[in-house]
Amino acid sequence: MMTVASVGTLVACLLIVGLAVLFSINVDNIVAYIGEQNELVVFLDLDAPAEYPAVFEQELRSVSGLGEIVYISRDDAMKSVVDKYLEGDAGLMDGVDSSFLPDSFRVKITAPDQLDTLMQSVGRMDYVDRVEAPTELTKTLVNIRRMVNTFGGGIIAALVVVSMVIITNTIRASVFTRRKEIGIMKYVGATNTFIRIPFIVEGIFLGLIAALTAFFITWGGYDLFAGMVSRESSSWLAIVTSHIVPFSDLSAILLSCFLVSGVTVGAFGSAFSMRGYLKV
Amino acid sequence: MIDLIDVSFQYGNGTEALHDINLRINNGEFAFIVGSSGAGKSSILKLLLRETLATSGQVIVNGFDLNRLKPSQVPKFRRSIGVVFQDFRLIPDMTVYENVAFSLRVTDRPVKEIRRRVPEMLELMNLKHKARQHPYELSGGEQQRVALARALVNDPPLIIADEPTGNIDPEFSYEIVELLQRINREHKTTLLMVTHEHEMVKYFGGRTVNIEQGNIVFDDYIVGSKDEESR
Repeated sequence: MMTVASVGTLVACLLIVGLAVLFSINVDNIVAYIGEQNELVVFLDLDAPAEYPAVFEQELRSVSGLGEIVYISRDDAMKSVVDKYLEGDAGLMDGVDSSFLPDSFRVKITAPDQLDTLMQSVGRMDYVDRVEAPTELTKTLVNIRRMVNTFGGGIIAALVVVSMVIITNTIRASVFTRRKEIGIMKYVGATNTFIRIPFIVEGIFLGLIAALTAFFITWGGYDLFAGMVSRESSSWLAIVTSHIVPFSDLSAILLSCFLVSGVTVGAFGSAFSMRGYLKV
Repeated sequence: MIDLIDVSFQYGNGTEALHDINLRINNGEFAFIVGSSGAGKSSILKLLLRETLATSGQVIVNGFDLNRLKPSQVPKFRRSIGVVFQDFRLIPDMTVYENVAFSLRVTDRPVKEIRRRVPEMLELMNLKHKARQHPYELSGGEQQRVALARALVNDPPLIIADEPTGNIDPEFSYEIVELLQRINREHKTTLLMVTHEHEMVKYFGGRTVNIEQGNIVFDDYIVGSKDEESR
């Protein structure tokens, strides 16, 4: 009975911690994705030399924290003005030189949390007139992500502590029911190692079972959830669902974490809980 | 051999359980230790099994000076004595055979030897037909015989029996003591039996040590009524 209780407790604890980690990874991933959709728009001075944009693009590439870079030349800008405001009627702009429009760059941000620094350093580069960015949105997203990480981390840490307490108590109870047996072994002249080994082997074995059970339950649950969410793809959720981390990406690391913690808790839990009974 | 030299023992709260005791039990002897409860019998046992250490004096059992014994040496010492308890202390999820085999397994004896020794012991205790049963399926007398087989299987020079008849129906109690005496005679095993059943001691006779209030008040040979009858 006690072994069932120990395994059950261990499975439940691994599940809770595992789900918390998976949830936190996904929220982080989605928020990160939304954050990366942010762009900086860099406008160059009108008097920048004609060959400068190419040089500037090179320089931008060397700045870390920036992603894809799209160059919008004066002519491109002209075209988009014509498309956007003149309904494609280029004739209206006849004789107007595109030189009154600046060269510009649309730059994806891969490190939204460093937005301010990025804007400053790009702004200090030669011939840069203005840098624009959706600062408020980015900041909000960065904050959400930071909160998810801190709270998620905190909750996970708390769960780990609670789990450890529950598990050691369960194991202690199961060792307690066998304290007589341990006492008898001592009287017959068994060494502590001799007594400990079967308990530790049992602990490891139960840890393994618990880890595998928790892993398969998590797997099933995760796929079920992912499937349910992706069927909602009609709505805005589509962006979210397309960025749920597939289980196969996480399975190896999750399984190894489960196994390591299951076996460690099992082995040390047993060894630790029986210390008192060995002093006969 | 047991040698207690000027042994005193106090509990943590200062209660003195044994006062300056001197007791020597030679190899091959059979001795009863009697006394009312609280007289200090269990304190002597605790000292002899090295559950506790004497507050002062020397406790020497089978050549081990228990006050100086390192904790790592305790298992080796315990293997040199066979212990029988009032409550049998058999391991409940092991069969009779496994319980007896266990005390050999502890000492890493070869499987071959275990397979030979255990049935021998069960035979000796008339338990062969119970080998596959579990302790809870046996009567008190049978359980105590299993415990005895376990104590004896290592062929220890000393067996200590703590109220071995305490949980057994009277008609079987005498059988247990007779078994102990037989072991003492045939195997030259030193035997120390602690009991509060004065009637039984009077019946069997032999060396009797009486402890009252932490002191040895009597230590001599008495003639048992059993022997008087046969005379």
